[in-house]
Amino acid sequence: MASAGSGDEKAAAAAMITLISSDNEKFEVTEATATLSQTIRHMIEDGCTDGGVPLPNVTSKILARVIEYCKKHATAAAGEEGSSSSFSDAAFLEVDRAFLEELEEFDDAFLEVDRATLFDLILAANYLDIKGLLNLTCQKVADSVKGKTPEQIREMYNIVNDLTPEEEAEIRRETQWAFE
Amino acid sequence: MRSDPTAGHPARRRFTEGRATSRPQQIPGGPSEASLRRAAVAGDRTDGQRRKALAAAAEPSIDPADRLTALPDDARRRILGFLPAQDAVRTCVLARHWCHLWKSASLAFCLACASAVMRSLQSAGRSSWNLWAVCCKPEETRHWRRVSFFSMIRRWQRALHEPLDLSCCDVQGPELSDSFVDFCSCLALEHLEIDHCLLPSVNRISSQSLKSLSIIGCCSFGSTFRTQLHSPNLILLRMESIMGRVPILERMLSLVEAVVQINSTNDTCECEDGDYFGNCSFEECDGCYGVADDTDNCVLLQSLSQAKKLVLLANIEMIIFRRDLKWCPIFSNLKNLVLNEYWCVPGDLSALACILQHSPVLEKLTLQLFCKGPKSKVHIKGSPDPAKRSTAISEHLKIVEVKCEVLDEKIQNVLEFLSKLNIYSYKFHFEGSVEGLE
Repeated sequence: MASAGSGDEKAAAAAMITLISSDNEKFEVTEATATLSQTIRHMIEDGCTDGGVPLPNVTSKILARVIEYCKKHATAAAGEEGSSSSFSDAAFLEVDRAFLEELEEFDDAFLEVDRATLFDLILAANYLDIKGLLNLTCQKVADSVKGKTPEQIREMYNIVNDLTPEEEAEIRRETQWAFE
Repeated sequence: MRSDPTAGHPARRRFTEGRATSRPQQIPGGPSEASLRRAAVAGDRTDGQRRKALAAAAEPSIDPADRLTALPDDARRRILGFLPAQDAVRTCVLARHWCHLWKSASLAFCLACASAVMRSLQSAGRSSWNLWAVCCKPEETRHWRRVSFFSMIRRWQRALHEPLDLSCCDVQGPELSDSFVDFCSCLALEHLEIDHCLLPSVNRISSQSLKSLSIIGCCSFGSTFRTQLHSPNLILLRMESIMGRVPILERMLSLVEAVVQINSTNDTCECEDGDYFGNCSFEECDGCYGVADDTDNCVLLQSLSQAKKLVLLANIEMIIFRRDLKWCPIFSNLKNLVLNEYWCVPGDLSALACILQHSPVLEKLTLQLFCKGPKSKVHIKGSPDPAKRSTAISEHLKIVEVKCEVLDEKIQNVLEFLSKLNIYSYKFHFEGSVEGLE
């Protein structure tokens, strides 16, 4: 894209933030990338990011993946600014379909992880308050249990049924319509 | 919102987005609920175990291999929110930690199971469920034809013994009746989305309380009359891809923003000699004369005249906007205007000239010409020459943007029109290789 006006925008977004994982690894990211996390956004607003942001709940392995996600989606968000307004913008005015598709492909590839990593990502997204990533990962779990019986779900996710048979029968009676 | 990745589930994605942006997070329970439940678990144990359990209060008794149950309640609720409602409810028998979770998740129930849901909530003695969304499968539409929105809500409220949060409601899929869309008794309703609905016999949609209304997803209106839209306190209006006749808007003095996109409705003139102003010479033309006593009504523009931002898009043959220009109001607050090629018919830019003339405080004009959406290949920015301002445009106009795919004759035509208003293009953005002028 040869454009005359994009230079200053880049300069404005160049402020860097250092994120520190639980195993003490440092990651330099742009502010635009970091602020996809509401948690970090608030820290920046409060001016407590000097000397780096320690994230004691997130390992370097997971943080690297989270940053990968945020980088990709921050570019997407930046493209939309300017023409945006309260509710008409991206949701309605057709956005660049090719780019959206690319983003979806990225998300699909991003989710190709083992189950332990998926849960770590959910915890990280929840802690960092990254809505898009949280939805993405939760949807993946939801898809895996969709249409399954409770017994199948227990087996898939090692859930131990600690309800007594009487309790379970009572609950099933209350919600019978959902089991029909 | 593009960052939301829940692709493949457009309806669900919309629900989630809506909640994230405009709806207050109403997830009851939280820590107190969790600790109560932990206490309940502790109650089944011996004294020693109980002491241990209390000491390890932060560690609920979950198998370390069970990472799903160990997730924070908010994340588990979110997972349930992505499931069909029945699947989500069925998780209640998984284990103790799952018994009540579904009741505080945001689920979209269909009407047919609503009363059963109410009974379950009631017998559980707790009703933390809010009406986020009413959705309905097509085979259930017969239920909806007979029911009014208000009576349905009243029934639900009686079942719950406490008021529901009714400020937001999405209606998806069903055929709606006049009585259903009479929201006048529903004073709390502020945000309404009507999506993929049939309204072929609806004469009037009315609400005093609505602040935002979206009618989207090819909603179909009657073809021989206009549905009236009475919503005097509306702030945001979005009407997109509707079918049948364009509804006629009543006064909306608080309107701030409106997006109206009309494609292929019955209000289309297909006569060869027509200029799409709704007054063609063919008396039998259904587009121009198909609605009785209609040619003397300003359908849309008059009621949109208070808005600060307007997006007005249509297919070229649609007559309504152009016919409305006969009564063109002054858009006295309009700062930001987005138009498409409808307003720039080759050889006739009078519609564009007219709306510009009637927008005295306009600051930004965007023309999306023959392209889909704002991200086009060619992007031209211009601004009026401050020394030689034309009296035919707002003195506040700062930016004129033209977005298109190619710089062809049709676009040149528009640029010439703009240059007559002393608006000169000074900046071109090209994506890829585009042949054209510079």
